[in-house]
Amino acid sequence: MPRARRGRRAQVNVRLETLGTSTLVVAAGRLDFAAAADFQAQLEALLAGAAAAPGAVIVDCAALDYVSSAGLRVFLLGARAAQRAGRSFAVCALTPAVADVFALSGFGKVIAVHADRAAALAHAAPRPA
Amino acid sequence: MSVAAARRAGGMAGAPLRALAELLVERDGPYARAFENLILALIAVSILSVGMETVGGLPGWMVRALRVEEIVVVAVFSLEYLLRFVAADRKLAFVFSFYGLVDLVAIAPFYLSGLDLRYLRLLRLLRVLRVLKLQRRILEATVAERTRELAERHAALVRAQAQLNAELDVARALQIAILPATFPARPGCDGAARMIPATTMGGDFYDFIELPGGRIGLVMADVSGKGVPAAFFMAVSRTNLRETASHHAAPGACLARTNELLCAQNPIDLFVTVFYCIFDPASGALQYANGGHNPPLLRRADGSVEALSGAGGLVLGAMPDSAYPEHTAQLRPGDRLVLYTDGVVEAFNPIDEPYGLERLIAEVRACDGPAAALVERICQSVTSFAGAAAQSDDITLTVLAWYAQ
Repeated sequence: MPRARRGRRAQVNVRLETLGTSTLVVAAGRLDFAAAADFQAQLEALLAGAAAAPGAVIVDCAALDYVSSAGLRVFLLGARAAQRAGRSFAVCALTPAVADVFALSGFGKVIAVHADRAAALAHAAPRPA
Repeated sequence: MSVAAARRAGGMAGAPLRALAELLVERDGPYARAFENLILALIAVSILSVGMETVGGLPGWMVRALRVEEIVVVAVFSLEYLLRFVAADRKLAFVFSFYGLVDLVAIAPFYLSGLDLRYLRLLRLLRVLRVLKLQRRILEATVAERTRELAERHAALVRAQAQLNAELDVARALQIAILPATFPARPGCDGAARMIPATTMGGDFYDFIELPGGRIGLVMADVSGKGVPAAFFMAVSRTNLRETASHHAAPGACLARTNELLCAQNPIDLFVTVFYCIFDPASGALQYANGGHNPPLLRRADGSVEALSGAGGLVLGAMPDSAYPEHTAQLRPGDRLVLYTDGVVEAFNPIDEPYGLERLIAEVRACDGPAAALVERICQSVTSFAGAAAQSDDITLTVLAWYAQ
């Protein structure tokens, strides 16, 4: 069997989608210490580039296999950056391993967690006045 | 001239030629630079004179002067060729190297035309190729300059890296030195702890805090991130926690207060997961609160293992005004409490499998020896599982065993 390293050295890939006024950040890979700085830089660049968009920032974690404590910090920084920009911040579609990390660290209490993209978008949609 | 003949000639010329080569053409020879400049000047003169010869109708004295000049130039170039040949480690490679051939072509027309074969005079035009000798000089000088610059930069980097490593070693030693070496002596219980530091500076720590009434505060903590920032935050966290523990009888309040202190002095948004419990060796009672840390394992005397679950709070340092629910547990004689960081369960083997909670539980279940024996057993199990894989995180463990008084 080939000793595939299952992308442990690989960085986290980030892709940006815009849905209405919301910015969707699709993250994939392993968010460990080695990848955290890169993910942070990408997230900051995306948020800066999407500064004009007024809506929610949603990180879709469906393809995120693992998050270490250094990785969690990037979510905290992202939430802070979004808050400063006056935007809401949420994560959705957590894999079981990542959901455990959110639950254990208490981050699930301070960052909105949604079951899937649709739920996150529904929650982010501006409510009728 | 065959190579063998050349070698014989070199051998016969022997020591004096080699000595001269060391003076003039070896890279660090004392007169290498002067000789180099002489060659350069002669190349310039020679190219100029080749140009003049092509102009017809020169006065007789000038033709004679050019002839003398040519003899001098070829003599020096021949000497240079001979010396380079003597100095070359691999003669054959030198002769057939590009510049070896250029050097030969630069002098060959003179010797061939010296045979007075008129049609070979055309070969004299080949002297123009001496300009290629110039190119060699420029190339060699450029390469030498670049090499020197690179060597200097490399040396500077090596020095800086060595200094940085030395400072990191000191920081690492300080970081480990503030961890308690021994468990507070109490009748009826014993404790042991160990940290196996990662290759990069991590932020794990444990602590034993002596509290009023013979009680002991046990801390297991892990700072997010690595390197110097994590080490600093670890030292700040440990100091704040220790200070706060002496003023708060309840673990939840202690974590809440520590969180406030950390949030107030946390410019780079690091955080720390902390499990804190207060153990009373007289009764076996345990009070605990958890700030985002892996729940410790409680091994009952009968070998069953359960996690010290119960709702926890947010990691410390991330957000002010966080609450830390408090829980209690009652240890029974022969029970063991195992506190650990994620470096244990997230130790990876060479094919990237994590050690995992199941393996840890199996080791805990299998050992009913003293605390130190269980610490040793788990450390051995984790390190043998990880094998040759690089250890990317600190591995930290504390075991408390209670036997009742």
